Amino acid sequence: MSDAYIALEDGSVIEARCRAPGRTRGELVFTTAYTGYEESLTDPSYEEQVLTFSYPLIGNYGVREERFESDRVHPRAAVAREFTDDVAAWLSEAGVPAIDHLDTRELVTSIRERGAMKCGIAAGEDATPEAAKAELAECKSMSDHIDIGKRVTTVEHTLYEGGGEYSVALIDCGAKGSIISSLNERGADVHVLPYDASEADVQTVDPDVLFISNGPGDPVNFPNAQSLVETFTGELPIAGICLGQQIVARAFNGETEKMAFGHRGVNQPVKDVQTGQVIMTTQNHGYTVSDPGDLDVTQVNVNDDTAEGLASDDLRIITRQYHPEANPGPHDSLGFFDDVLGLVNKGTPVTAD
Amino acid sequence: MSDETTAETATADNPSSEEDRTILLIGSGPIQIGQAAEFDYSGAQACRALREEGARVVLVNSNPATIMTDSEMADRVYIEPITTEAISEIIEKERPDGVIAGLGGQTGLNVTAELAEEGVLEAYDVDIMGTPLDTIYATEDRDLFRQRMEKIGQPVPQSTTIALDEGESVEQFDEDAFRQRVSDAVDSVGGLPVISRTTYTLGGSGSGVVDEMEELVERVRKGLRLSRNSEVLITESIAGWVELEYEVMRDAANSCIIICNMENIDPMGIHTGESTVVTPSQVIPDDGHQEMRNAALDVIRELGIQGGCNIQFAWRDDGTPGGEYRVVEVNPRVSRSSALASKATGYPIARVTAKVALGKRLHEIKNEITGETTAAFEPAIDYVVTKVPRWPKDKFENVDFTLGTAMKSTGEAMAIGRNFEESLLKALRSTEYDPAVDWADVDDETLETDYLEAPTPDRPYAIFEAYERGYTVDEVEALTGIEPWYLERFKRVTDAAEAAQNGNLQPAATAGQTNAEIAAIAGGGVDVDAVEADVPGRTYKQVDTCAGEFAAETPYYYSARQSEFERGPLKGDAAAGELVVNKAIDSVVVVGGGPIRIGQGVEFDYCAVHAIQALRDLGIEAHVVNNNPETVSTDYDTSDGLFFDPITAEEVADVVEATGANGVMVQFGGQTSVNIGEPLQDEIDRRGLDCEIMGTSVEAMDLAEDRDRFNALMDEMGIAQPQGGTATSKTEALELAHDLGYPVLVRPSYVLGGRAMRVVHDDAELETYIEEAVRVSPDKPILVDQFLAGAIELDVDAVSDGEDILIGGVMEHVESAGVHSGDSACMIPPQSLDEDVYARVREVTEGIAKALETVGLLNVQLAVKDGEVYVLEANPRSSRTVPFVSKATGVPIAKLAAKVMAGESLAELDVEEQTPDQISVKEVVLPFDRLPNSDPRLGPEMKSTGEVMGTADTFGKAYDKAQDSTGKPIPRDGVIALDLSADEFPEPDTPEADALVDGFGEFYDFCEDVDLVEAVKKGKIDLIVSRDRNLLSTAVEEDITYFSTPASARAALEARRAKDEPIDVMAVSDRPRHVARWGIEE
Repeated sequence: MSDAYIALEDGSVIEARCRAPGRTRGELVFTTAYTGYEESLTDPSYEEQVLTFSYPLIGNYGVREERFESDRVHPRAAVAREFTDDVAAWLSEAGVPAIDHLDTRELVTSIRERGAMKCGIAAGEDATPEAAKAELAECKSMSDHIDIGKRVTTVEHTLYEGGGEYSVALIDCGAKGSIISSLNERGADVHVLPYDASEADVQTVDPDVLFISNGPGDPVNFPNAQSLVETFTGELPIAGICLGQQIVARAFNGETEKMAFGHRGVNQPVKDVQTGQVIMTTQNHGYTVSDPGDLDVTQVNVNDDTAEGLASDDLRIITRQYHPEANPGPHDSLGFFDDVLGLVNKGTPVTAD
Repeated sequence: MSDETTAETATADNPSSEEDRTILLIGSGPIQIGQAAEFDYSGAQACRALREEGARVVLVNSNPATIMTDSEMADRVYIEPITTEAISEIIEKERPDGVIAGLGGQTGLNVTAELAEEGVLEAYDVDIMGTPLDTIYATEDRDLFRQRMEKIGQPVPQSTTIALDEGESVEQFDEDAFRQRVSDAVDSVGGLPVISRTTYTLGGSGSGVVDEMEELVERVRKGLRLSRNSEVLITESIAGWVELEYEVMRDAANSCIIICNMENIDPMGIHTGESTVVTPSQVIPDDGHQEMRNAALDVIRELGIQGGCNIQFAWRDDGTPGGEYRVVEVNPRVSRSSALASKATGYPIARVTAKVALGKRLHEIKNEITGETTAAFEPAIDYVVTKVPRWPKDKFENVDFTLGTAMKSTGEAMAIGRNFEESLLKALRSTEYDPAVDWADVDDETLETDYLEAPTPDRPYAIFEAYERGYTVDEVEALTGIEPWYLERFKRVTDAAEAAQNGNLQPAATAGQTNAEIAAIAGGGVDVDAVEADVPGRTYKQVDTCAGEFAAETPYYYSARQSEFERGPLKGDAAAGELVVNKAIDSVVVVGGGPIRIGQGVEFDYCAVHAIQALRDLGIEAHVVNNNPETVSTDYDTSDGLFFDPITAEEVADVVEATGANGVMVQFGGQTSVNIGEPLQDEIDRRGLDCEIMGTSVEAMDLAEDRDRFNALMDEMGIAQPQGGTATSKTEALELAHDLGYPVLVRPSYVLGGRAMRVVHDDAELETYIEEAVRVSPDKPILVDQFLAGAIELDVDAVSDGEDILIGGVMEHVESAGVHSGDSACMIPPQSLDEDVYARVREVTEGIAKALETVGLLNVQLAVKDGEVYVLEANPRSSRTVPFVSKATGVPIAKLAAKVMAGESLAELDVEEQTPDQISVKEVVLPFDRLPNSDPRLGPEMKSTGEVMGTADTFGKAYDKAQDSTGKPIPRDGVIALDLSADEFPEPDTPEADALVDGFGEFYDFCEDVDLVEAVKKGKIDLIVSRDRNLLSTAVEEDITYFSTPASARAALEARRAKDEPIDVMAVSDRPRHVARWGIEE
């Protein structure tokens, strides 16, 4: 007998097996990565979402904390064809519902056809289809989570030392740990600041670079970060990853929009506009830059031509829609962090007059 | 790349406008252990890809049983030896701009390297396209390879090379100095055990883990003799690590992608071709995977590979987040693994490799599967793929099938499932392998030592057996060294079987058992109907390269059980799952041949593909069910629907039900497809499906195989057969033999394909045979037949539409009766039939076709003795000679057969029989060098793995070319060991014996040594004629050409006489033929 149900926006309720009990709701998304489940489940960008793994067998090589990207599990719930006992135990302990023994390929193709859907989940001894439907009824859309930044950000300024060669102010909209460690490894001290940090907070740490992190949901819900970008333009090199790119674009008269079902996986091909070289990237975003505003598009997605990299040489700005820090996923684009720090020594260009 | 501008300006939308180069594509030659059908698949795909770009393709391959050598596959097709002599002539005639070497396996690479070394490529200004030659050397030469890896900081296993210096030869070594050299080498890699490998050989022949110095010295000595560059590599053994392979692709602009990785279930130490392999990896964490991915990209960039490449790693969990790895090997070309990766992911590696070789960029090449993405992406998969090799264990009693670093398997099956258990059981089922072990006779100790510790073809079954006996996962892990993740899932299979016996059927279904299997396991009167109603039904999922992220257009499917909470069979559209099919269009399911094995080779894939092509010509949708990842039939664009599934009645009926097919064809996939004819008919009836088994009835096929009924039919028709009978005891067998007169041919009645068949000459031999080889009993009778000594054997392939008959060709065997027809060289047209016999051959064939109400193909084996034509066997289905006949005559009989089965008449098809004006010889390739202790003499049991074809004006030259193609050329001169002592050879001082002695004496010096074996070992002999097993075994080890029958010896002599005739390289379509009916003087 099934002891778990997932109710979808299209009206269907699917039977499943409970692997971690609980009731919850969120936007149903999928990732196509077959490794990196620990990293994905601890990625803050999955806040308020229900993460479906398209690869059927999840948990095969156990669970180790050193592979986590943050200090907790972020998706509201997890769905797979089959979770191992290790992962089930971890998610149970974390209080995050998990279900399996359902046809996840069917879920993925529904999402592909209908777009990311709201869903409700009820799992455990007393789970009923009605309970799952009741959760679904309470589910908000991603853009309506206007305070989402608060739930994923650091509460206070935290310094991660990397040797002091550079100083980076990282506005934490839900940053993955690997962004910090990638910068640390390159000699940068990273000042992680809350998503609602003030201009003065940034000035206090006197950074060489202003860096807007990745994070969950709609960039419209991060007005403070956007205004920081506007404030420090020209004064500091600016970098952004994922949500960070969208926020930077919006600060330069760009526009963003919600995608049908986003890009989530570790095999997204990105082409450098100038060199023509294609690299594989890790992605996790449901919104995209539809208009780069005053910035140049330097990299595009080979599949759908969406903006994957933006830049302004004059203003010393570079951003990526994908996750150059990997974890999970390919290490093809780690050079991005060198490029970011390289901006520091370029200095402010002298304006010809 | 010589033509950058062309490449830069070509775009995906406008691919062919500028491309006008002529490209030479070299195939891989005959099917042999280590080199199977995968190169037909990759070559055929490459031909299409190159022509799509507008290139003119010239193809050369010696193997007629391939799709790639069909005239329509390339602009010019040459079925010629893959030797520098033949290819130089082709180059001179065709003046190619470039040659792509990386698509014809090791054979293609080696000959390209030789062509370059001999200056032929330079002389004719032929570029090596794609991966450069330097790269090939850097990967083949272990020292060079290690240097390159060290340069980019990649860890490789410790290794050293033992090489012959200039002018040194193996015989001249001082024994002690030689030992010292080997011993020093071992010390430098950290001591025994080590892996010893010979470079430049196929599939690692002569390689292995060695833990004793004596054995190592012998191996090195032999390796130095056999290796093309006289090198033997000694490597640190990393036995026990997880073995992984990464399939990588790079274009000239340095864009690189990983197509997939593959994890060997069997730990390091077993050749990947011998391992059970899973895609994607299961036990490697993302960190480790990404580290190896990075390494793979660094390696492919460092080596400058353009196109596909395979990189092997060893990995172990050393406690760090990513674990520890070594780069083990790089294959700078498409391979067996790349064929597997292509089928496992849907990414067409050969196609993309060919386009990259022309200079295209990955992002300029369209991903045909999705139709909306490009080749510049890494496939994502949402299923588990398992590959299981198929070994010829049943064919070689004395061969040790412990798996090691050298290949012994002939083929493989692949399966796709939504969990590992489903994927594994589907794969095991697809191999059609029977462990032939009675587990009840195996005690625990033997189970542990012989079946769990020792890796053998039986190990998966032994693991199940161990769990049934109550072994724990930990215990099995300790014995096998297999990762516990896999062993836990093996255990689920046994647990599911136990649950089924207790009435809970669903777990067995989820674990991948068929309903029929579950009914058998459950027992207690549970029938298939009951199982079907109680378990999740099967549905079809698509292989789409992207895990569902994009809508895919390509009809490539696999079946999978629905999730655990579903019950009962799916009906109608639901049964079709993701399958898109227009049921208004007539459709037919063609059943393929499964894994390649001895007796059932690539020729049946050729037949299946031709059937598909013919149906599509007629506007009928053709679906195919097959599970061999190496083949053209399982390429996603060969058929209208590719169903990558096991071939059982139940699973084929699923395809029929899902597609709404009107018919099924079981004639083309060899014994695999023929065997399911009857059960499939029953299953179709059980389900009430409206679908017919097309062509000759299942009933008639049975009749042809039922000896008694077939005998009666022949008697009725006045067609002669060798006399014979069935014996159910030793006494009966002896009586029969006395009645018939020795020699007689004996075989068990319950096995096919010549297994355990012998010619016995007296009572003693017969008694020994009965006692040792078979235990005769009333339920296991043996057949005793008159042996037609010295008869000429013939093969006839024909097509009948039920009214008319078209004879494709009559072939005369080189070998006489007593050698399995599949192992005999043969020629077309026959050279020694007189007019009356020829006419009788036609009459007999026509008579049998009529009597069996044949619709489709018919193969008849005949023997001619003293002017009488005897029927040995008739099979109303495709035969292994169909492609050879088609290539020699230009008449595509498999296609004609499919068309008449679909209702066309031969008259409507308006086709004529054709006779070639030249002589084509088919010769076989034998696997003895891969299978130590096998009997290297030709006999009644089939042992060959593949075939080649040679064509010329005379039989002698055609036979000589065929021998060249097998890689065992007849030497021009040198020393011959002529040993006619065996009974089979003519008595001394008879005219027949003198003819051989004088004949060979004209060209060769006779070996004077008393100990011929020793002489061969010392490298003093160039050619052997003998039936002495020991001598021939030595010849196999030392790679010396030999002939083991009087017939082949005479043919070899004729070939030597014809050696100075021109090689006569000619495109297949240019070979002269004329319209003439076989056996009718016109």
